[in-house]
Amino acid sequence: MLELRHVSKRFSGIAAVDDVSFSARPGEVTGYLGPNGSGKSTTMKMITGLIEASAGHIFFEGKPVQDDLLVYKRRMGYVPEEPYLYTHLSGTEYLTMVAQLRDLPARRSAERIDSMLRLFSLHDDRHASISGYSKGMRQKVLIIAALMHNPQAILLDEPFSGLDVASSLVLRNLIQELAARGKVVLFSSHELDTVERICSRVVILHHGKVVADDSIASLRSLMELPTLEQIFSQLAVEQDTASIARQIADLIYA
Amino acid sequence: MHELIEKLIARLPLDFRVLYRQFLLRVIDLEALSIQGDVPAFIGQFAGVLIMLSLIHATVTYLGYTFITEPAERFAFLWHMQHYLIATMMLVVGMFAVLSWDATFPDKRDVMVLSPLPVAARTILIAKVSANAAVLGLAILTLNVASGVVMPLIMGAQPGPALGPFQSLPAWCFSIVAAGLFLYGSVLTVQGFTALLLPRRMFLRLSAVLQLAAFGLFLCVYFVQPSITTAAAMAAPENQWVLACSPSYWFWGMFNQLNGSLPPQFAWIALRAWMGLALAIAGAASSLLLCYLHTMKRTVEEPDLVPGGGLRWMPSFGSTLQTAVAHFSIRSLARSRQHRVAFAFYLAFVLGIALSLLRAEVAAAAPRPLSMDFLIPTFLMMFFAVVGLRNVFSLPVSLTANWVLRTAQIRPSQDYVAATRRSLQLLAVVPAWLISAALAFGFRSVSQVAAHLAVLALFGTILVELCLVGFYKVPFTCSYLPGKTNIQFAFWGFVVVLIVVLVPCAEFEMRALNQADRYGFMFSLLVGLAAGLFAYNDHQAKSAVIYFEEAPDELITTLGLSA
Repeated sequence: MLELRHVSKRFSGIAAVDDVSFSARPGEVTGYLGPNGSGKSTTMKMITGLIEASAGHIFFEGKPVQDDLLVYKRRMGYVPEEPYLYTHLSGTEYLTMVAQLRDLPARRSAERIDSMLRLFSLHDDRHASISGYSKGMRQKVLIIAALMHNPQAILLDEPFSGLDVASSLVLRNLIQELAARGKVVLFSSHELDTVERICSRVVILHHGKVVADDSIASLRSLMELPTLEQIFSQLAVEQDTASIARQIADLIYA
Repeated sequence: MHELIEKLIARLPLDFRVLYRQFLLRVIDLEALSIQGDVPAFIGQFAGVLIMLSLIHATVTYLGYTFITEPAERFAFLWHMQHYLIATMMLVVGMFAVLSWDATFPDKRDVMVLSPLPVAARTILIAKVSANAAVLGLAILTLNVASGVVMPLIMGAQPGPALGPFQSLPAWCFSIVAAGLFLYGSVLTVQGFTALLLPRRMFLRLSAVLQLAAFGLFLCVYFVQPSITTAAAMAAPENQWVLACSPSYWFWGMFNQLNGSLPPQFAWIALRAWMGLALAIAGAASSLLLCYLHTMKRTVEEPDLVPGGGLRWMPSFGSTLQTAVAHFSIRSLARSRQHRVAFAFYLAFVLGIALSLLRAEVAAAAPRPLSMDFLIPTFLMMFFAVVGLRNVFSLPVSLTANWVLRTAQIRPSQDYVAATRRSLQLLAVVPAWLISAALAFGFRSVSQVAAHLAVLALFGTILVELCLVGFYKVPFTCSYLPGKTNIQFAFWGFVVVLIVVLVPCAEFEMRALNQADRYGFMFSLLVGLAAGLFAYNDHQAKSAVIYFEEAPDELITTLGLSA
């Protein structure tokens, strides 16, 4: 289980994440939602060890991750929000480098990379430079890099970004399949329909604080709202979206 | 004056001004700096270095002129300085041309961003040329700010020019600008016509090779060409090919012709400068025009995905981490323009030394006894290879992509330091040692050569360990703060120290090669030093944190006085 206890992160005194506590259990997909700037990606980066928390603790399988970060990183896979890659490498070269960094056996990792590239329809372009890849192709490389070492904790920050319909469906089923096989999956996205379909529980963040942490069914009945979108709008959207759209249109015509 | 300039700028079209500013900032590669990178400060530092160089040149010229009293010697000194200043200026322009290799022609990003906007292709062209000309002009101006005044004033005082400094100063200004235009124009001509004549995909591959070739050529010519300082030397048959082929001598001829101090029998040298200048300007102008008419369209039409080429299989270089870091280093050096050029700068020294050794080998009829003529160049080659690569390792290839190294950091930090050590050994020590071994075929005895090569390997190992002190980074992954580029100054500091200690050390080794006990002592000392440094680095690395961003110093420093 992945657990956050009273985790905060401050940048120059301003709280980006404020006293956040929740847990993601094995066998279920936990959705992590929030508007832009609510602190989702900052939380993800703290969980991956990219940035340190200003306060609080993160536990994985009952142990603080900071106690042995190297061991924890062996068991964690991460798809970041932005598809930043070393673009002077080819897809195969990048994935081979990640496999080597993760100390995977050479032959086994080569076979696994080749098979995954085929399954993600990247095999024909595996020797082309990543600089020429589309956003969706880069996203596939990130997903393969995050999963090829069979991690126990999978952190997905906007993993559907740029993917075509077929690849999105594959990934959606893959996430559910991995959760069903006992992985801890923390999944952050703005696509509420997808979240509603694949997540068992959701944590909603607003201004760096947790405003909801429950199963979608419980939230529906508690708030007496039929969809996750309406629940999210009520909890985390302060603006009158229709009015803003009208104002923008007025500006264009002005 | 300021208001007048403001008014003049305001009269320029807005789209030109916006593009000019953008292109001006892009002449400097921001990826080399950290996120807080300040381009004007960076340009300021660069200009500062050139001004300092100009002041040194001016001082040396003035002191030489003052202290050399014999007229023939004084004249030879002034000829030498004129040629040296012109050659140095051409080298700086050449470096600029290489570093801004793709900056003048539109790249895919320009085309994709600007094509949908109502901006004429000629505006893009003029803005690009103006931005490059501004930086080029700044480089020429700063490099000549002091020496460009002192030299013509001294020349104006010599017998020859009819109008004294009033003739010499404009003659000098014209000649150095012409030399800069010639070199930059020649590079643009070659680039432009290659882009026009070749399919775009092939051009992109060849362009990288051309860039490196140009870089090596400029450095080799600068360092290898002989100095010809008297009329007798100029008339000597063995020097005619140098005068005929070296553009720095052509523009030296142009200056002296304009100044009225060129002996008539050397007018042909100046004529080459005029012809070269005309050809370079015409070639650059036509290739730029044709490129903007044709290449922009071809850039849009080129496919996004270019199949990868080159070597796909690479051997293992130790542990999986050492292999990963070595492969990453090789690929970054081979494929990143910025890193390739930076490394080529140091490699050019290695190449220049190797070429001069090879020239001596070819000239020698029979094997020679091992001497300082071989020991010193091999040490220099090793130094430039190792310290140069260490400098290039400090330049990040893509800061935003470093997250993968951080999230996949599953081993202790000393493993990463060991991987960096392996890359330095593999990419610097081994090639420099192999070149030295190959060039040793003309020296005897074989046992002495073997003994020196063993010392050279130890010297390389010690240099690698020295380079690793405090360097807890993966190559090509760490940013550095603006103003912290003192590694370049440290490099030249190292060069000065090396020059001071190298000759006595090489003399000691030369004596030791003839005495077994002395050699044994020296070898043991070097092994001890290498082992000590290795142990120190390994111990320090155990408690070190591998870092990816250089952080600014704390504003408040605690003195730690309280208990």
